[in-house]
Amino acid sequence: MAVVLPSMQMSNVQQQRVLVEQLRREAGIRRINVSIAVEDIKKYIVDHEQDDYLLVGFSSQKANPFREKSSCSVL
Amino acid sequence: MTSKDPELDKLKTELEAAIEAIKEAQKKVADADLVTVCADLQDAPRIRASCKRILKGHINKVNGVHFSGDSRHCVSGSLDGKLIIWDTWTGNKTQIIPLRSAWVMATAFAPSGNFVASGGMDNQVTIHDLNNRDSSGQAKVIREISAFEGFLSCARFLDDSRLVTGSADMKIVLWDVQAGKNLGEFHGHEGDVVTLSVAGDGGHFVTGSVDRTAKLWDVREPGSAKQTFWGHQSDVNSVCFHPSGQAFATSSEDKTTRLFDLRADQQLAEYTPPSANSAFTSCGLSRSGRLVLAGSDDNTVHVWDTMKAQHVGNLAGHESRITSLSVADSGIGFCTTSWDTTVRVWV
Repeated sequence: MAVVLPSMQMSNVQQQRVLVEQLRREAGIRRINVSIAVEDIKKYIVDHEQDDYLLVGFSSQKANPFREKSSCSVL
Repeated sequence: MTSKDPELDKLKTELEAAIEAIKEAQKKVADADLVTVCADLQDAPRIRASCKRILKGHINKVNGVHFSGDSRHCVSGSLDGKLIIWDTWTGNKTQIIPLRSAWVMATAFAPSGNFVASGGMDNQVTIHDLNNRDSSGQAKVIREISAFEGFLSCARFLDDSRLVTGSADMKIVLWDVQAGKNLGEFHGHEGDVVTLSVAGDGGHFVTGSVDRTAKLWDVREPGSAKQTFWGHQSDVNSVCFHPSGQAFATSSEDKTTRLFDLRADQQLAEYTPPSANSAFTSCGLSRSGRLVLAGSDDNTVHVWDTMKAQHVGNLAGHESRITSLSVADSGIGFCTTSWDTTVRVWV
């Protein structure tokens, strides 16, 4: 994974120092296992699948505000 | 790179060591692969959405669209110098707002539906109040902020008062637009900040930049980023939080769309179409997060199953590059905008 930091060309020592400190902070965060992260996302998805119109469509056409309305005739 | 400055050389070594430390820590928790963990899920169906509305009214390229929190109205901004507020259900224009500058690149709807923000090459952000008219009958401008040294690329409201902006001067700023105050600046990106997405709880947001990274920020702690996400090989054009709040999707000039997880601090998946020819300009996620959508330079919206990393279709219709995509909060559908001057609604 290439990490290109244009600031490597900067000659400003102070800015470089700030960057190193920042990266050290980011290195020190707590991380959870990918397996657990994926399981949690998977659970969210499964719990909400029935509400996902783009996935399951509309339960009835009455629920679809974009449906073609039936035409009315004037008596 | 040789340098006559030993302190700079020492810092360069420390920088490389810090990056290595991050990569090592990420590798340590990479105990599984997303597609394998999700092998037991049923395949997602082929995309069933289709274009239900073609919203015509702009007479030049449309650069941005954003849904209101009501999942019914959206705002679009075009190089014709106008914002149009649309009722997506009827296709009607509820307001047309002429802008002082035609070069609009960013548009945002406050979740309440009361305000819209816009800006672009004028290096300003302008807030219009949709419920109050000025003397000429247009939505009233309640704030103009010109404290930018580059064009405004993206903006998102946290609520009716607070707006986050990203601009080409690499700055990210939190504003109280009602009071006209700068509430804090977020620094760290090394290139134009072109996209941002706020988490559902309003406490965090992610940004994407031409520096090829995405970064996570805490609204309450301006200053430096909480996390940086590497992986893309070119500009990150769009970011979108996953509805679970635990991940976000990105799409890029590098012709891929990706999923990154916050707590594992790394990329979980990469999504490409069967023939990866075009850059992606925009992205969104469906209500459950099972589907990821990306607008492309090839004029179509690509759709993938996020968990199985499978391409489940393309939505064609636009006649030119898609510039922006916004999914309604309710998940009922999404809008896209294009250089073809139209806004399309897909349900």
